[in-house]
Amino acid sequence: MHAVRNIRLCTKDCLCLYVCPTGATDTETGQIDASKCLSGCRACVDACPSHAISLIPAEFPPQQEKTVSVKNALLTLAASKMDQEEIASKLAETTGNPVLRQLAEALGKSNRLMAEDMLRESGYMLPQSRTVGELLESLLSEKQPADFPEAAVKRLLELVNGNTMQEGKASAFEKIDY
Amino acid sequence: MMRKFVCGICGFVYDESLGYPEGGIAPGLKWEDLPEDWICPLCGATKVEFKEQETVIPEEKKQSSLDEEHQEKIRELSFKELSALCSNLSKGCEKQYRNEEADLFRQLAEYYDSKSSAAFEAQISDLAALIEADLSSGYENANRRAAAVSDRGALRALTWGEKVTRILSSLLSRYEKQGETLLANTNVYVCEICGFVYIGDEAPEICPVCKVPNLKIAQIQRG
Ligand code: SF4
Ligand code: SF4
Ligand SMILES: [Zn+2]
Ligand SMILES: [Zn+2]
Repeated sequence: MHAVRNIRLCTKDCLCLYVCPTGATDTETGQIDASKCLSGCRACVDACPSHAISLIPAEFPPQQEKTVSVKNALLTLAASKMDQEEIASKLAETTGNPVLRQLAEALGKSNRLMAEDMLRESGYMLPQSRTVGELLESLLSEKQPADFPEAAVKRLLELVNGNTMQEGKASAFEKIDY
Repeated sequence: MMRKFVCGICGFVYDESLGYPEGGIAPGLKWEDLPEDWICPLCGATKVEFKEQETVIPEEKKQSSLDEEHQEKIRELSFKELSALCSNLSKGCEKQYRNEEADLFRQLAEYYDSKSSAAFEAQISDLAALIEADLSSGYENANRRAAAVSDRGALRALTWGEKVTRILSSLLSRYEKQGETLLANTNVYVCEICGFVYIGDEAPEICPVCKVPNLKIAQIQRG
């Protein structure tokens, strides 16, 4: 667990500097130095008058259970939204009419957001979850075109894979119905 | 007797006895006498999205037969879906202040975007057809399945998504009737949380669908 500062809320009162026992809040970047932050101390969180600091857990609870039935219904909707995004972006790209382009851009953006939300709720909420790890691994195990960003996927697996609690234990896996 | 009609998207109530003087609708004006192109003053929904208040009965818990669903395999994700999945994971990483991960997921999303652009002729009518399909069966099916297992996260997302989709349907039918005058001398906004689209001079204080404050509602420029 470590503290993070939302720079947009920070009013630069600097109370966090005075209360932090390790100087973790005292950085040039405006962010808090996670390596110096004492896990769960939260002195700065309580001291900040602007509610700009919060604690982020190092581990998240495992991804909620999702049934195949729900997942497929959400994915069907996501697919439709992405088809709509594609039509809207194509319209925005090809029309000579600036008004239609503006409307099409809004429709495209709206559809991507809805698709993202459907996908998120179909078992991919947390980047650290086992579902995401498995997806990334399956991408690496398949044959991919030459321009596939393999290095990015490998790096992501190092960074995010399996950082949720209990995951890796078979008992926790078994009750999850994907 | 004077009746009340409730907007199914944002909950605005049109009370016949009060009219809507701010919008030039005199008290006492009957629902059927409101012009067909009248829209909800809060969210822009058309009249078809309203229901008479007395008729709003709490929805019964539908008992679902899961038999058809037992045999299902998980659907494969298309390139476009992978793109949306990765762009959302990128946002998830940003919220956790994980910038390197956010960049990598964004890179992956862009890769899948570049893979999914096929050549075809885009038509508004195709868009409208997909919207109608979602509204006539997609959401009903998904809601029934999510309710059967009390999947609250899915039900939340479906509620927002269905409302936004109905707004898009309203917008397309208004665009069909009014053409470019729909957007003349006014602005277009999109809520960056739920995708709600609003046409008006100023963004609403909070999003009528997901209730996020308007610092998360972005203007779409004309250019
Ligand atoms: S106490 Fe809060 S507002 Fe003040 S500098 Fe620290 S984070 Fe910013
Ligand atoms: S939680 Fe404690 S150690 Fe960490 S930055 Fe805040 S005051 Fe410093
Ligand atoms: Zn409304
Ligand atoms: Zn919203």
